[in-house]
Amino acid sequence: MHGRKKISPLVMVFLVIILILMLIPFLWLMLSSFRPNADLFNEPFGIPRNLSFDNFKEVMESHPMLLYFWNSVLVAGLATIISITAATLAAYAMQHRFMSRKLLAIVFSMCLFIPTNAFMVPYYVIINKMGLYDNILGIALVYAGVNLPMSFMVIKGYMDTIPKELTESARIDGADCGQAFRKIILPISKPGIVTACVFLVINSWNELLFANLLNQSDSSRTVQVAIRSFLTTFEANYAHAFAAMVISILPTIIIYVLLTDRIIDGMTAGAVKG
Amino acid sequence: MKKRQTILYLLPAVILVTVFFIFPLCYLIYVSFFQWDGLGPKVFTGIENFKYVFSDAIFRTAVKNTLIWIGAALLLHIPFGLILALLLNRRPRGWKFLRVVYFIPNVISTTAIAFLWYFIYHVDVGLLNNFLKTAGLKGLAHAWLNEPGTALPANIVPFAMYVGLTMVIFMTQLSTIPTELYEAAVVDGASRLQVDLEIYLPLMKPAVITNIMLNLAFCLRTFEYPFLMTGGGPANSTMNLSLYIYKEMVGANRYGVSMVAGLVTVLLGFVVMMFVQILQKERGKNDAR
Repeated sequence: MHGRKKISPLVMVFLVIILILMLIPFLWLMLSSFRPNADLFNEPFGIPRNLSFDNFKEVMESHPMLLYFWNSVLVAGLATIISITAATLAAYAMQHRFMSRKLLAIVFSMCLFIPTNAFMVPYYVIINKMGLYDNILGIALVYAGVNLPMSFMVIKGYMDTIPKELTESARIDGADCGQAFRKIILPISKPGIVTACVFLVINSWNELLFANLLNQSDSSRTVQVAIRSFLTTFEANYAHAFAAMVISILPTIIIYVLLTDRIIDGMTAGAVKG
Repeated sequence: MKKRQTILYLLPAVILVTVFFIFPLCYLIYVSFFQWDGLGPKVFTGIENFKYVFSDAIFRTAVKNTLIWIGAALLLHIPFGLILALLLNRRPRGWKFLRVVYFIPNVISTTAIAFLWYFIYHVDVGLLNNFLKTAGLKGLAHAWLNEPGTALPANIVPFAMYVGLTMVIFMTQLSTIPTELYEAAVVDGASRLQVDLEIYLPLMKPAVITNIMLNLAFCLRTFEYPFLMTGGGPANSTMNLSLYIYKEMVGANRYGVSMVAGLVTVLLGFVVMMFVQILQKERGKNDAR
């Protein structure tokens, strides 16, 4: 084992300083969201007094935050289902020999390197042509597409580690391709699929650019887009903006605390495989 | 597996890739030769859009700033990520907790982090200026996001918070190095620092390449910071490629111009990919030796 005793205090101090630097902005955000706006202006560094949930209440009352929240949940859920289903099926097909397999693998891995921000106009045009502008499904479809190469790589990487003998023995027992997929490959690949799901949910929840580009009304506004509008419309009421931000990051923090290792895996797996 | 079945299984993914990657790329190339406001008819203008973009001073600033972003990201993340990974690899008390906390900014939306920093830099209520005032350094206080000299660095600094991702990738690589190496070195009387520098560091090359690639890809995609904190200003000093594409499209309705800029971004992405391929080939050669 690694020696635990010989850590110098200097190293510890350095690590703790970094820890504090990482946490201060978030703690300040949390604290500020419970303080009245006037206090933020008059004594931003003063001892926090008058802490209350008023900011949260007011934000929820003045804005349809629950609707935005629900929209974000729907977008993240739909994008994940579409993208992961497509990626899993394709990854399974890639386990078999067929003519254009090599070519497909190259195309998928090349897509990983395309900065999709460059496709603002094409996506806008495509989604409009589909009649899905200002629609949750439109935003979800874009996320599903943009994240497909990454989910495919992660899931395929996992399936590649499954020994071929497993499927072959199932085939000998009389299972057809679909059965072998459902009964054997799918259960074994579960960790890889979950990792890809986590990656997609977090990315979809946090995305701003396309959600903003494809949105017009409240009916398809996600939390991130709503937060953005706080800067322009709530210029003076920072306390409200802080409360809204806390609401927007709370779900990811909760998921992160519950699934820490899965998330760290998910966020790095794609990167390492790519 | 029968041929028909294979096609059926591949179909959803192939459709998504065609609609969201292959078609957009072709469309990007095609429309970049047209003048188009997004609504009216497209007018063929040949290479006019290209001429416009390459002579546009704002575009040059955008490219320059994107390159500065990349340079700064590499300088911030690679050394600090490596140091943190090596230190946590010594397994100090609470290293698991530290790893989890260092990673947190990566799961929080860039929108929230950009906003957070917008307020940190705020002239009146901001954490930074108030800290400087309290510390008696009032002279150092700035309108950070409103001065051309400080706006770009102020945009880039929040990026340091993502060091946790780089660190975790280094740590993953470190965990593949057999502990026997470390133990043998200790028996030989090597100090911890020597072990880090002489044994671990040279073995980190694959993770370094991964991290370079990741940071390059991140920087080409960076949009939220300039968009939310400065809107590209003041005087376009914080403009980058993504924001240029966005502004030419949404603000100026010059869709053709926007797409030329998009094409340049995609090409930069391919350069990155080639670069990584070459590095990996080099690595393959070295390993074979």
